[in-house]
Amino acid sequence: MSHETWQEQLRRGTLDLAILLTVSAVPRYGLAIIQHLEAFTDLVVTEGTIYPILGRLTREGLLEAKWVEGEAPHPRKYYKLTRAGAKRLNDMKTEWQAFVTKIDRLMDAAENDA
Amino acid sequence: MILSETGVSRVNGYLFVLERSLKTFLPPDVVRDAVREIDSHLRERIAAADGTLDERASLERILAELGPPLRVAQAYSVERTIDEAIMTGHLVPMFRAMWRLAVTTMAGFAAALGLFAGFVISFAFVAIAVMKPLFPDNVGLWVYNASGIPHDLGIRFPAPADEHIVGGYWIIPISLFAGLLVLVLNYRGAKRFLIWWRNRRL
Repeated sequence: MSHETWQEQLRRGTLDLAILLTVSAVPRYGLAIIQHLEAFTDLVVTEGTIYPILGRLTREGLLEAKWVEGEAPHPRKYYKLTRAGAKRLNDMKTEWQAFVTKIDRLMDAAENDA
Repeated sequence: MILSETGVSRVNGYLFVLERSLKTFLPPDVVRDAVREIDSHLRERIAAADGTLDERASLERILAELGPPLRVAQAYSVERTIDEAIMTGHLVPMFRAMWRLAVTTMAGFAAALGLFAGFVISFAFVAIAVMKPLFPDNVGLWVYNASGIPHDLGIRFPAPADEHIVGGYWIIPISLFAGLLVLVLNYRGAKRFLIWWRNRRL
């Protein structure tokens, strides 16, 4: 596996968590989600590929989508976390923190061995 | 930035290609919703763009950041069709995903061909099991009279004079088992292929 492929898999693997985190506190529409992700991460490579992921998370019942008209010159589709989404996010956060701790420990051990 | 007629045509062209691509594998209401959302994204980006800059360059940058319409459609395809098939494991979404890959990629076509062959073999075994009680002298393991070597498992009308069938009704459970085994292996193979394809697309 090339370094680029590994990076891409890492990016893709964390994108669901990043999106759920982005809408966890306040509902956001597609572009606002992308801008939030761009402000904090470099996870968004192609903006258009975020929308299918939002669609999947909605189909899975983790997000709830609602079109809002009148707020801007054009309608915006807002996404918010559902109860199932909040539970999944908590699980993902716990697993992520445990994962990072283990990898950190492994890296420390490798440095100590060197 | 307020778009000129040329700019509006460029945006409409992008949305048209996206819609056409999505229509090949998504239901109409999902396509409408997806195109409306991408349209909303573009309008937002265009409204926020600096109107003093060159319109064409600004618009092309916005469209490039969004991604080519075929790539966006492909992302929907992966998320929708393949993920649905893998997540549910149901036959209809699996067939839909395999069909989608078969008509768009060489690897998908090859896999679908293998899948088709598997279904034919499975059907043949089940047909043997069903036909044996109806035509006991025409269905079974065929053996040459002269050499006694078995060479064929199947159904023959009329039965050849220089061959005879061996065994009896035991062929029914064996054929049923073999047919179901091939069917299960086929299903697992298709699922593994879809998982491999999705991981490859990451």
